[in-house]
Amino acid sequence: MPNLLKIGLVALSIIVSRPSASVAQSGTTQYKCMIQMTNYMGEKAYIAVSLMNGKGTYEKTLYVLGSDKKWYPDVKAWYKALGKKTPNLSAITGASVAGGDRSVIVLEIDNSKLNKDYKLRFESAVEDKEDHAKDLEIPLTTEGLSAKSEGTGYIRYVRFSPNSPN
Amino acid sequence: MTISVWRYSHLALAVSSFLLLTLASVTGIILAFEPISQKMQPYRVDAVSQLTLAQTLPVLKKSFAEISELSVDANQFVQIKGSDADGKNLTAFVDPQTGKSLGIPSPQSEFFQWITALHRSLFLHEAGRFFIGLTAFLLLLITISGTMLIIQRQRGVRRFFTRIVRDNFAQYYHVVLGRLSLIPIFLIALSGTYLSLARFGLVGTEKVSPNIDFDAIQAKPERKLADFAVFQNTRLADVQTLEFPFSEDVEDYYTLKLKDREITVNQITGDILSENRYPTAVLLTNLSLDLHTGRTSAIWAIILAVASGNILFFIYSGFAITWKRRANRVKKNNYSADESRFIILVGSENGSTFRFAQAIHQQLLKQGEKSFLTEFNNYTVFPKADYLIALTATYGLGDAPTNATRFMKRIEKYPQPHPVRYSVLGFGSHAYPDFCQFAFEVNQLLARQSWAVPLVDIHTVNDKSPAEFGLWAEAWSQQTNLPMPVSGELLKAPALPLETLIVTSNTKTAQPDGTFLIRLRSKHSQEVTSGDLLALYPANDHRERLYSIGVLDDELQLSVRLQPGGLGSGFLHALTPGETVHARIVSNDHFHFPKKAPVVVMIANGTGIAPFLGMISQNKHRTPCHLYGGFRYRASFDVYRDFLEESRSVQKLTDLHLAYSREGEKRYVSDLIAQDADFIGNILVTNGVIMICGSLSMQKDVIALLETICQTKTGKSVSFYQSHSQILMDCY
Repeated sequence: MPNLLKIGLVALSIIVSRPSASVAQSGTTQYKCMIQMTNYMGEKAYIAVSLMNGKGTYEKTLYVLGSDKKWYPDVKAWYKALGKKTPNLSAITGASVAGGDRSVIVLEIDNSKLNKDYKLRFESAVEDKEDHAKDLEIPLTTEGLSAKSEGTGYIRYVRFSPNSPN
Repeated sequence: MTISVWRYSHLALAVSSFLLLTLASVTGIILAFEPISQKMQPYRVDAVSQLTLAQTLPVLKKSFAEISELSVDANQFVQIKGSDADGKNLTAFVDPQTGKSLGIPSPQSEFFQWITALHRSLFLHEAGRFFIGLTAFLLLLITISGTMLIIQRQRGVRRFFTRIVRDNFAQYYHVVLGRLSLIPIFLIALSGTYLSLARFGLVGTEKVSPNIDFDAIQAKPERKLADFAVFQNTRLADVQTLEFPFSEDVEDYYTLKLKDREITVNQITGDILSENRYPTAVLLTNLSLDLHTGRTSAIWAIILAVASGNILFFIYSGFAITWKRRANRVKKNNYSADESRFIILVGSENGSTFRFAQAIHQQLLKQGEKSFLTEFNNYTVFPKADYLIALTATYGLGDAPTNATRFMKRIEKYPQPHPVRYSVLGFGSHAYPDFCQFAFEVNQLLARQSWAVPLVDIHTVNDKSPAEFGLWAEAWSQQTNLPMPVSGELLKAPALPLETLIVTSNTKTAQPDGTFLIRLRSKHSQEVTSGDLLALYPANDHRERLYSIGVLDDELQLSVRLQPGGLGSGFLHALTPGETVHARIVSNDHFHFPKKAPVVVMIANGTGIAPFLGMISQNKHRTPCHLYGGFRYRASFDVYRDFLEESRSVQKLTDLHLAYSREGEKRYVSDLIAQDADFIGNILVTNGVIMICGSLSMQKDVIALLETICQTKTGKSVSFYQSHSQILMDCY
């Protein structure tokens, strides 16, 4: 019995002492992500952040910046692949971003996808302006998530940092 | 002329924009309730106006795991974005004093989102935005042209807020409310236009990225957040947003956006790294948003809602005015201008004068006469015309109404081939200083035409008074022997019952020209003033005869010349003391002795002296009075001599000038006036009053003479003094 207790305590201590906060119990990691916009003129941009697999197909919506569903069809590629099928986006929805502004969001990414030929895609759309299906794509690697990545459309750059409260 | 330019543009702009304007106003009213409903939410903390960033930030940092942005919105609600203890995205309203979370902001309601999109772009994206922007610009022009119209209506900027004359409901409230909501509507239109321009990139509102010298960034000395000077000096209320550094790297910084500038702050030392003042265009955009949406003040939002409601009322009342004006325009004439015996000319700005013209026109047609009704501007040669009736209003500073502006030229161009008897009827309101001035000018103009023969003296109608219109109708009817019953629609006042009068004396004919004086006493002491008229019905039928009354010793004195076969004069001449007469006393306000004049000049010929005799007798205040009288013979004047000499001795009459046309030097009363031209000119300059009573031909001469005197001595025209009640006339 004492052995069993010991094993139990060790097991418990292992569980408790696992790296805190950044790795949640479900096997996902939270990344703080800053999107800095260019100084374009026009309405606020709608941006969809999606997880893409190696074949270049959409797998999951990670975040949507822009709360009015009326404009979702403007984010064309994402809307066609995921947007209209995803019923409840409200938990991963934030405000749209204006030219020159920045937005800081938290992305929750499945640990199993890291370093496995997945990509993060940022698609941006502005009313009555060109839509950028691949404004920015970042390989989902430890390296990719630590660098500053330049956008090609309305996004100037995206930066990540591990979400470490306090 | 300019009046019509502003009016036509006001109308054209309104017509071209009213559909979108209606839509924008209705949605605008609804949207005004968004800031109002927001302000009723309990997220405002009073301390927000005193707290500085240096006081708030440490508190908030302690309460929340991670903050990426702090913002203070137009309602002064403090909001933070960041992540909670579990690392989840977090947005919350907070109390900046305690750091407590007050609630989660709800996204803009779908209803308001929908209305906002409709208001901004009609759901048509760029094209819709363009049309809405254009509508805002048109509204701006409507406001400007409307302001010009009010200034012209009120005769000058300084009289902008004085009383408005009430024509009808739509017109009155269009102007009254127009003045009141002028400023908010102007601001709505201006800010809306500006926002559209900014939206289309026509004003430079592009953002400038902070220019930071990263090589110069210091990591020392390390200071506490509460010790950052820039945060100590910034009140929370002035903050728009504060973006927190993305990481702890020294190259990441605070970005503080205030109302007028953007500052970046070193996150370790608290030094200011860069400072950008926003361009004026950006400040104007923000100001326009504040003004256009009412987001900063619930009171202003309510004002905006009311002003938008007013726009809807203006659309309704504006079109009501236009319909009315159109409906009053000339309809198709039954007879052509070439074949008609009666020509009715109308000068009208808003159409109300047409009602009176139509009444006359219909009356003549009913009697089988060929009558032609047209606007002054259509004046031309009327080959069969015997009678001309000119009805006109006055607009602006005694100017011609829009449809009469070309009359002056046309009358010179188209002389009538044979004599036409004319009568002018002016419409106006004593609320304006230039009462019926254009009508007086038309009258003078006609008097100068060789073909024009005066039929009855010019009459004026104040505020559409049916009684005054009736007065003209009676006089006209008497001269033409055509009944001109004024229809009940116009003449609302019931015909007064006849008065019973007893003849007290009758001089009978003693003079070579047949003049006699008759005195009557009213059975009931009725209110009567010298200058009023006595209407007699000698044959007990529609035929009415009017005589000017002089009140002496509480008796009505008429001065009458016996005409061979005259209906009225024959009837009066036959009366003997003790007999009774049935007649009506007609008040004739415009020819009463002036209450305030410093001096009065009376000009009369023949029996026209009658009202003046009464006025002199009643001149208790001894107002200086100068009487100019013209008679045929010395003996014609004898009936009045004793009374006037006596009045002079008690200073009721200052002096007396007489002219005799058929003996001695054979002079007319106008010769006396010409002699005293300087004196007469001076009378007018010093606010004195000139009263003229007698025959129309005498009036014509005297007015022509006065015109010359006025032009040379005072620089103004006779019509100016006529419209300011300084020249009063009652001739026949």
